[in-house]
Amino acid sequence: MNFPILSLVTFIPLAGAILLIFVHRDRKNLLRSLAFIFAIATFILSIFLYVHFDPQTAETQFVEKGGWIGYGINYHIGIDGLSLFLVLLTTFLMPIAILSSWNYIQKRVKEYMIFMLILETGIIGVFISFNLFLFYVFWEVTLIPMYFLIGVWGGPRRIYATLKFVLFTMLGSLLMLVAIFVLYSTYFKATGVYSFNLFDHYKLILNPNLQLWLFLAFALSFAIKVPLFPLHTWLPDAHVEAPTAGSVILAAVLLKMGAYGFLRFALPLFPDAVMKLLPVLAILSLIGIIYGGLMALIQKDAKSLVAYSSVSHMGLIMLAIFSLNIEAIEGAIYQMLNHGLSTGALFLIVGILYERAHTRMIKDFGGVSSQMPVFSAFFLVCMLSSVGLPGLNGFIGEILCIFGIFKTNKLLAILGISTVILAAAYLLWMFQRMMQGPIKNEKILSFKDVNKREIAYLVPIVILMFWMGIYPRPFLKRMDYSVTDLLNRVNRKERIFVQAEEDKKALTEVNDLIDTEKNKDQEEEVR
Amino acid sequence: MNSFFALLPLLIIVFSSLLVLILEVFLKKENKNYLGFISLFFLIFCGIIYFRFWNKGFSYFNQSLVLDKLALFFFFIFALAVAFVILLAMKYISLQDTNYGEFYSLLLFALSGMMIMISSLNLVVIFLGLEVLSISSYALAGLKRKDEKSSEAAIKYFLLGSFASGFFVYGLALLYGASHSMSISGIIDYFKSTPELSLMAPVGLGLVIIGFGFKIAVVPFHMWTPDVYEGAPTPITAFFSVGPKAVGFAVLLRIFLSYWRATESESIFWLLWIISVLTMLVGNLIALRQTNLKRILAYSSIAHAGYIMVAILASDGSGLLFYLTAYLFMNIGAFAAVIALSKKGTEYLELEDYAGVGFKYPWIGATFTIFLLSLAGFPPTAGFLAKFYVFSAAVREGLVSLVIIGVMASLISVFYYLRIVVYMYMREPSREIAINLENPALFLVLFLCLYGVLQLGLFPGNILVIIKEAIIALGVGPG
Repeated sequence: MNFPILSLVTFIPLAGAILLIFVHRDRKNLLRSLAFIFAIATFILSIFLYVHFDPQTAETQFVEKGGWIGYGINYHIGIDGLSLFLVLLTTFLMPIAILSSWNYIQKRVKEYMIFMLILETGIIGVFISFNLFLFYVFWEVTLIPMYFLIGVWGGPRRIYATLKFVLFTMLGSLLMLVAIFVLYSTYFKATGVYSFNLFDHYKLILNPNLQLWLFLAFALSFAIKVPLFPLHTWLPDAHVEAPTAGSVILAAVLLKMGAYGFLRFALPLFPDAVMKLLPVLAILSLIGIIYGGLMALIQKDAKSLVAYSSVSHMGLIMLAIFSLNIEAIEGAIYQMLNHGLSTGALFLIVGILYERAHTRMIKDFGGVSSQMPVFSAFFLVCMLSSVGLPGLNGFIGEILCIFGIFKTNKLLAILGISTVILAAAYLLWMFQRMMQGPIKNEKILSFKDVNKREIAYLVPIVILMFWMGIYPRPFLKRMDYSVTDLLNRVNRKERIFVQAEEDKKALTEVNDLIDTEKNKDQEEEVR
Repeated sequence: MNSFFALLPLLIIVFSSLLVLILEVFLKKENKNYLGFISLFFLIFCGIIYFRFWNKGFSYFNQSLVLDKLALFFFFIFALAVAFVILLAMKYISLQDTNYGEFYSLLLFALSGMMIMISSLNLVVIFLGLEVLSISSYALAGLKRKDEKSSEAAIKYFLLGSFASGFFVYGLALLYGASHSMSISGIIDYFKSTPELSLMAPVGLGLVIIGFGFKIAVVPFHMWTPDVYEGAPTPITAFFSVGPKAVGFAVLLRIFLSYWRATESESIFWLLWIISVLTMLVGNLIALRQTNLKRILAYSSIAHAGYIMVAILASDGSGLLFYLTAYLFMNIGAFAAVIALSKKGTEYLELEDYAGVGFKYPWIGATFTIFLLSLAGFPPTAGFLAKFYVFSAAVREGLVSLVIIGVMASLISVFYYLRIVVYMYMREPSREIAINLENPALFLVLFLCLYGVLQLGLFPGNILVIIKEAIIALGVGPG
């Protein structure tokens, strides 16, 4: 297609942001509506990507290339099975996030909407860039709006939280930048050509020692974003202080940038290093699963409970990614979408309660479902989706992940499944304490049930949850080729770490056998 | 064409400076702005002449006057800096009771000094230019005559600056003693052709580096910077942070681009390496504790000298030029925003004053934020691309550890740059500030700097072509 649809999807939000600069700050409803229109227009355009996406190929599609600065810095974007749904998730959730902050944000609406739209452009850009430089630019661009969203519209400890968020992320990304420089100069020395093109770098076979350092730099940056234990400490702070929509975007999409980074960059660029470090990464993910789950159990604040549940869920996704087989990685991508939907929805739900009660402490609630029956139903569905009830989306993702992990390492799979058990425990318990039982607090009697606007943004999420839970094929089939392609890249030398060890053992045994036979032959010849 | 014609721009600047001095006597105090316009007129005139010199490559008086593309490029940087400073100062000097015509005259003298320095390959002539620049700088720093801090700044700058000049001349003497030459190329040839160097030449070079170290404010020769920056009138601070620094680096670039190729000697390399690392770390770390905006920007400018030093170490001329260009826009822009927050007799310089500014004055807040993000090195601004070029060149030269220290230092810097943004947007104002917004010249500078920062950050293609030409003209062409 000649029509630059991908660029449009990426930059329409930015255009909206620029337009909003010129709207007077007192016309709040106009500002909100404009922002919403731009977000929804982006979503509608992105549906074309889904419709015209060719599931029968691993090639990047909707590719657009153009010169930019030179020295290998080009405008090169495209989409494949790894990124298609992450882009869709972003464009899907952004209008919802804007709707959800319609009444909640009353101060400085203009700046808020501008930052939301810039954020959208940044996130989509991260998912579609195939030029390392461009990728890095978008990666950093997402940081600034999020910094303002938390810092200006956040809770009481917002300044601490937002600086922590920025400094953590910068720490990783700056080291990644150095690694990008090294890649760039290595490629230049090897070929005499300047290139930031990802596909060029895929072809490079680096020496394993160098790979190790580069992988560490990339992995640090992505692991902070995911976040992988023990680099997660910024996440609960950021989530608790962020406004609802900020939390939704942070959990649903920004964290996925980390996981996506592993899939797109860290794994295929440095396969040897991955093989070496796989056990460590898998164990860190596992610790994240269990630690996040246990921390979620003891949280008193509903929002930080959901935040820690993110740590746990992302741990499972990472564990699946590090299992390096097709079920696991498709499961991981699928689970990323599920996590985006269900955790995003849970943050929205906590936000709805907060708008009414002005507290998020679990103990302040109780028996809310009798006052807000419709809301209670939504809460139940979203909660169960996050737990992984069959028939809802979470189940498919989790089962695929676990299958995949099981294929690689049975023990890890058995331990990893605790994410489901723990999720059931903390979420059901939270639901019970907040929604059921006697009404503890008189304030609850004045709660109104969800209004039309709130229903309007919850319904699409719930529909998707059922769709993805009942009929996942359209999603999975669009990933197949790309994931296989990715695995081919990663496995170009060795296979999964556990098997590799076994293979090596087998191989040495065979070699020994051959050697002894040779020796025998030689001895016979000598005789 | 004769040598007189090549000297013409310099003569014009000196003439205009004298003219401003004479006219000053005849103008009433409230009409002193005209002097600014006259200065600007001569600057533009001079710029046009230099523009026509671009492809000529003059060289006269046995390389004492060389108008190669590098010199012209730097002239444009200096002229832009001076023009910005004049625009910033027009309102400022009447508000802050510094309304003397000497202001413009001294600025033009300083510019002529910088022009001499950049357009010569003879170290004695460079020294001459350095003194013209320095002495006008000392006077400029003390221009707020009734302000104690300003006088302190002038004295401090003068004393330390004189020492630095002493070091420079002494180093020059040693270099001459060893190599019997005063021109850069002659000295480099000496280093190249003499396998067994006596101690004299490297020590001389080291002393020259120290002399310049004061000018470009690198650690451990930075002690004067915060006090001078704080005491001097703010537009002058903006000038100090860009002009003398740029010219210092320009001369260092001229020396070291050929020096690295001429010798294998490691001691000077490691000397500069240590200076660079110290500068990046010390500048950024001390900036963390500052609460005065001018002092924060002073330490930030020290830290930036460290980053630029990386470019010298990587002998990356185009990176250095790009960095200085980007730095010109973002730093003068930041100072313009600081100057904007002032009213008659008062400047708002404490962090506390900035609480709530972002929403009260959205344009100043937004542009200042962009300049700070650029200084911190966030894409898609000029500051990011500048660091990108310098650091990637350094990695190509194998200086990975230096680059890691550099990016970690800039991580530290993110904290204090963002702290200003935190105050502007995330704190409730503790006291009301009222500022004078009728200052079109200042907003013009803000706008131009914003344009520069974004243009260089997003579409630097054109400027890169020019920079490349300037570097190739030196005969040293790294990519």
